[in-house]
Amino acid sequence: MSDHSGNQPRLREAWILFFILGVVMLNYPFLQIFNKTTTFFGIPLLVLYFLLGWPASILVIYLFSRSLPRRPRTQRAEKQDPGGSE
Amino acid sequence: MIPVWLLAITSLLYLGLLFGVAYYADQRRAAGRSLISNAHIYSLSLAIFATSWTFYGSVGRAATSGLDFLPVYLGPTLIAFSWWFLLRKMVRVSKEQNIVSIADFISSRYGKSVTLGAVVTIFAVIGIMPYIALQLKAVAHTFDLLSNPLSGPGRSLHQLPNFGFRFDTALVVALILALFGVLFGARNLDASERHEGLVAAIALESLVKIVAFVAVGIFVTYVMFDGFGDIFTDFISRFPDRQDLLLINGGDNSYAHWFALTFISMMAVMFLPRQFHIMVIENSDEEHIKSAMWRFPAYMFLMNLFVIPIALAGLLMYNGDTQGADYFVITLPLQFGQPWLALLVFIGGFSTSAGMVMVSSVALATMVLNHLVMPLIIRMKIEAADISGLLLNIKRLAIVAVVFLGYLYYWLIGESYALVNIGLISFMAATQFAPGLIGGLYWRNATRGGALTGLILGFIIWFYTLLVPSFVRSGWLDQSILDKGLFGFSFLRPLELFGLTGFDIWTHALFWTLLFNVGAFLAISLLTATSRAEAEQAAKFVDVFLPQRAPLHRERISKAPSVMEFVELMTKFIGEKQAHAAISQYLGNREIDERGSLSEYELPNLKRFTERTLAGSVGAAPARIIIENYLATRGSRMEDVFDIFGSVTLSRTSSREQLGVLYESARLVASGANLQSIFDDILKLLQQQFKFDLCVIRIFDDDRNTLVVQSQVGMSSEHLGESERDLNMETYIGATYLTNTTTVVNDTDFMDKAFSAVIIHREGIKSFAHTPIIIEGQPIGVLSAFSRTSKGMLTEEFITLFENLAGLIGVAWRNARQTAGLIAAREQERELQIAKNIQVSLLPDRTPDLPGIKLAGICVPASQVGGDYYDFLPRSDGRIDLVIADVSGHNVGAALIMAETRTLIHARTTNFGEVHRIMEELNEFFYADLTRAELFITMFYCSFHPGNRRLTYASAGHNRPLLWRNSRGACDQLDAEGMILGIKRQIVFEEEATDLEPGDILFLYTDGVTEAMHPDSGELFGEDRLCELLASLKDLEPDVIIEEVLRQVRTFTGQHSFQDDVSLIVMKVE
Repeated sequence: MSDHSGNQPRLREAWILFFILGVVMLNYPFLQIFNKTTTFFGIPLLVLYFLLGWPASILVIYLFSRSLPRRPRTQRAEKQDPGGSE
Repeated sequence: MIPVWLLAITSLLYLGLLFGVAYYADQRRAAGRSLISNAHIYSLSLAIFATSWTFYGSVGRAATSGLDFLPVYLGPTLIAFSWWFLLRKMVRVSKEQNIVSIADFISSRYGKSVTLGAVVTIFAVIGIMPYIALQLKAVAHTFDLLSNPLSGPGRSLHQLPNFGFRFDTALVVALILALFGVLFGARNLDASERHEGLVAAIALESLVKIVAFVAVGIFVTYVMFDGFGDIFTDFISRFPDRQDLLLINGGDNSYAHWFALTFISMMAVMFLPRQFHIMVIENSDEEHIKSAMWRFPAYMFLMNLFVIPIALAGLLMYNGDTQGADYFVITLPLQFGQPWLALLVFIGGFSTSAGMVMVSSVALATMVLNHLVMPLIIRMKIEAADISGLLLNIKRLAIVAVVFLGYLYYWLIGESYALVNIGLISFMAATQFAPGLIGGLYWRNATRGGALTGLILGFIIWFYTLLVPSFVRSGWLDQSILDKGLFGFSFLRPLELFGLTGFDIWTHALFWTLLFNVGAFLAISLLTATSRAEAEQAAKFVDVFLPQRAPLHRERISKAPSVMEFVELMTKFIGEKQAHAAISQYLGNREIDERGSLSEYELPNLKRFTERTLAGSVGAAPARIIIENYLATRGSRMEDVFDIFGSVTLSRTSSREQLGVLYESARLVASGANLQSIFDDILKLLQQQFKFDLCVIRIFDDDRNTLVVQSQVGMSSEHLGESERDLNMETYIGATYLTNTTTVVNDTDFMDKAFSAVIIHREGIKSFAHTPIIIEGQPIGVLSAFSRTSKGMLTEEFITLFENLAGLIGVAWRNARQTAGLIAAREQERELQIAKNIQVSLLPDRTPDLPGIKLAGICVPASQVGGDYYDFLPRSDGRIDLVIADVSGHNVGAALIMAETRTLIHARTTNFGEVHRIMEELNEFFYADLTRAELFITMFYCSFHPGNRRLTYASAGHNRPLLWRNSRGACDQLDAEGMILGIKRQIVFEEEATDLEPGDILFLYTDGVTEAMHPDSGELFGEDRLCELLASLKDLEPDVIIEEVLRQVRTFTGQHSFQDDVSLIVMKVE
């Protein structure tokens, strides 16, 4: 458990950072940057931004979930806490 | 056009398939091989978030107002970041608390409040009503569209004229979905409120709907058009004025609106009752959250990938007509002659609706049953032994009722709102649960009052700013409310509340609901204090990931129900089978005492277990009331146990106080103070630390067969503390001593010994304990403690300590006893040493030097003083008398007799004439003394004249001495008739004589030599062996012979010390 507890607060901080970053990137004024009639390959810039930005944020969550502590195989789910969110 | 029968049959077959899957999953679960317990199924089941709103409504929204359909799916992606912390915490709490719904969750957090549960339930039902209506509307419309495409999109078609009679499609859909809701969610009674079958069906539906939607997306984008770029280019060139659909602009498409939608969808994905049910209640493993964190957003992305292309294609096809935009997904394939694709889309859309309605209705019905119906049922006090069947039917009824409430809303509002707008009303309702729920998970001081006020205010604003306008728009309420405000107060205009203008309806509603909700939640929480029940629950929620601490409060049940009574109580609500399964699981790992019941300390645990089991079926708040009512009717009460160890309990088994008391007592015992002060000090310690009114130590007195008070501290009471106790089973103390077991009476209202009860009650004792003071398994006394202040304070931990204290008292008692013994023994030892010194001084200190003979003698006593005696007595006429004697016994008595013998012999030596006369005189003299002391003496007496080398001798039953005849080279045994001294008053002793030659050796000895025993064979050393030894030693000096004989005897026995006294005299004639 000690190897997890060291890295858990960092994970939480990383989550808060990414969460804020996500909220910023999907809101005013950030979206204003792409809020134009310009098109790339016929696709409007804002639509393209979502088509690429959304999967990117899912990728970040995927990488984040990969870095979460793994439960030792021998232990039962109810008996342990792989990190403790408090 | 697709015929109605085909649509109906396809739909029913599809539902049948779902039911089959659900049934299979339930079977698998029963067999212990869960079908759904994996991350893929869990992630798929979460996609129940995508309803027909997503399936149809997104396209409609995209076609009419552009990109603002997106925030509803971006929000869940963002909140997914938090799942490992927020969702996992919700899951953990729910698992530990046996929580079954979101109403249960919130009510549990705030002290299992019935009111809060009921309020959440009512709001949830009202809040979800529009959402269910949305689903019914979507299914009914698509059904109509497919069966009668001529009507075209957007046209309302409630009736199917070609069916022979008029019927409302939405009503039929509602009926069928309600039926399946009952089949999936309330087929039978399940104490755990988990529905693996339902989850499996939902996962399959999620698969079907994404396949259908992606199929139609690919068809539109790549068959009808040449990919994304083609559609966008086409659209921009044809409708350059509609380019704002692809931008975020003012009005209904502003950034504030964008943010509001993102926020409420973040809350909705967590707190919609069906989302909560699937995500939290049906979660089978916290690990699944990890992969759902990215799989679910990915699903949402895929689901939305083709929304814009389909919307734009629809606009292109219908020349910019947005009226039927909600159903582009189905009309486009139909338009392009792909009825089978349209049918697939219909099934996909049907999936989304059916799944949503079934899960929502089941989740809401559970809440209605637990938080609205259950409290009423409990109040009615139904006497039946098993009402679980009734409860099941009520739940089924509630499912149907929830679906038909949705139908009612559809019937009222139905056509006036687009799908998305109806759905958002429900999203906003779910958002109202967020402050109380998230606040309750992380803020310890959140109170029931705060949560309740916030929730009620939030919902009133929600109702006024969102639901009222929807009623107005449908014409059900007067338009004047919107324009002029309620009762004509302009500041009460639902869409411009308190004069707030410039926002769209959603942002406006979000701002006001949350302001009132969060504001009241925080303010009232700060102003009110938490009750104990709330604080207890708050800790269980907020600190769910912290290691469990021992409860600060201990409880006991007065007049506690038996185990069977608890089982009967459970049977009433969850049925006999489930109740028995639960209790056997509970008792499986617990010890039951000899009376077949649980210990006093285990009963509160059983009570908690019963409550928890009931909570798994009926919810936490009703379970609490059920138990409380039950105990109240029996006259049982939960009583606080006075925490005897104080509040800083470190762990269940050892507290600082406990260790402190034991340490201090052990120190007292080790101090070596006198016993009385040790006893007094231990009792004082016990009394002060645990606030007892009286502590007593009684020690058993063998002679009087009573327990005598040894020490007493506390109140003076001639009945309890100062009286002796006869040893019988009539009193608790007597029984404690006789049975050698601790007696604990935690409540003196319930006692079975009448004799003791009278005294105890007269003295006002509330609880007491007796424990035997035991030494090496045997009781020697009883330690008692009495309290007048509290019942039930004598916990298991205390009794353990109490028994340990009794053990220490026993040690102190034994120490005192042993010390006294040691002192006595040491004194005795000193006296024996004196006796030994005297005795040694009585033996000859040197051998007389006489011409013609050489002498040596020794006496080796076995114990400190011995009964052996030898002496050399030179006579004045040149003779020398040798005497060797053995007084039976090796004690001081023998030594005294030996001393007396010596005195007499020495006193009379000069007067003695013949040897046998000496013996006769000794016998006469000693007879009386020896008989009285029960001793006797064997003796050999001889007299040798070195001149004529004549030896005369007499024996009083002594071992026959050996005489080595050098001339013959053999041993003679000198024998003379004579009895042992002290047997008879008159004995005649024979006197024998023999002449010795130079080289002859006379060897006198006591039986310690010849009776020395071989340790293994038990063989005695014997005269023969001695004789042989003597032969081999014949040339040595007498003192060397003695040394050698002793050495040989020691070698023979293998021991350094002798078992008996050994005395030897060797006389060698020269």
